[in-house]
Amino acid sequence: MKFYPLSIATLVALLVLSVSVSTGQEKMTKEQWQQEINKYTALRTELSTKVKSLTDQIAALRSQSSKLDDDVTKCMDELYALVGSNAELAAAYRAEIEAAENTANGLLRLSDADLMARSDEVEDLEAKVVKSLWENKLSLIPEFWDRLTTLNENVKSLRRTLAGATKMYSVGTWARNRDCLWNISKKEDIYDNAWMWPKIWQGNRDQIKDPDIIHPGQKLMIPQGGEMTAEEKAAARSYYSKLAFQNKNKGGNGQ
Amino acid sequence: MQKISGTYSSLALALLFSSSLALFGCSSSPDEAELKQLDDLKEETAALQKDVEGKEQEKGALDKEIADKNAKLSKCNGDQQLVKQRLGK
Repeated sequence: MKFYPLSIATLVALLVLSVSVSTGQEKMTKEQWQQEINKYTALRTELSTKVKSLTDQIAALRSQSSKLDDDVTKCMDELYALVGSNAELAAAYRAEIEAAENTANGLLRLSDADLMARSDEVEDLEAKVVKSLWENKLSLIPEFWDRLTTLNENVKSLRRTLAGATKMYSVGTWARNRDCLWNISKKEDIYDNAWMWPKIWQGNRDQIKDPDIIHPGQKLMIPQGGEMTAEEKAAARSYYSKLAFQNKNKGGNGQ
Repeated sequence: MQKISGTYSSLALALLFSSSLALFGCSSSPDEAELKQLDDLKEETAALQKDVEGKEQEKGALDKEIADKNAKLSKCNGDQQLVKQRLGK
């Protein structure tokens, strides 16, 4: 058993070596440290150069941007001057268009009945758009031209809706308004044609039994204009026949 | 007795051999000041990297701003021509 002390000694030596190697793996060597220092120093130099280059580029871009601001302002001033205006007046005009657009959008969202009740606003808007906004020379500038064109389309759409919607008419007194179906039908904003009165009669059969009798304050529905329907024509014929018969009888009685 | 002293001397020899290997077999480690120097350098490069990123972002925004202004200027010049045409009609 002579090998026994030697074996123990070898085991101890291996143990000490393995411990020293494992602790050595966690610690940095001087060479590794130097490598890291070199690596980060080079990176610092590279980044510093990059920062400086970017700083210079940013300064140049800022200057370019500032020059462009001046160029754009100058160009816009020249553009307004072409139509005898300036930036301040253009801003006011822009606000006016925006207000008209908001009004048009508000009206476009209304139901037909609500739009009918606010038909005056459509007329005001049309007058404003056509007369005031288009007459301003600033309208020649594309920014405004395009917006006014859209606004015009919206006003036309409102007009079409109003034309298609059913109108209401409140009957006035005979003494003051001379309101009868004939005279109402003759009105320019109704049918502009007295012979169309049967349309109003037929459209309001629930409240007009005798077309010669309507009452002040009655709200009459005014059907859409255009050709009279067969039903309306038949109603008119029936009325005139009845009238002719009554007149004949009156005449006969008188004779 | 002789056997025991032989064992101890073998152990002592093994310890001496392995310790000398562990101590002098590998290169030396950096000291505290050197390690701090490396840490400071790492922090400095991290700050610089952050700076680069910020500046690249700023440059990108400026590039876009300039492109927008160029487009605006180009449109303005086009508008001038159009207005002149409309005025001529």
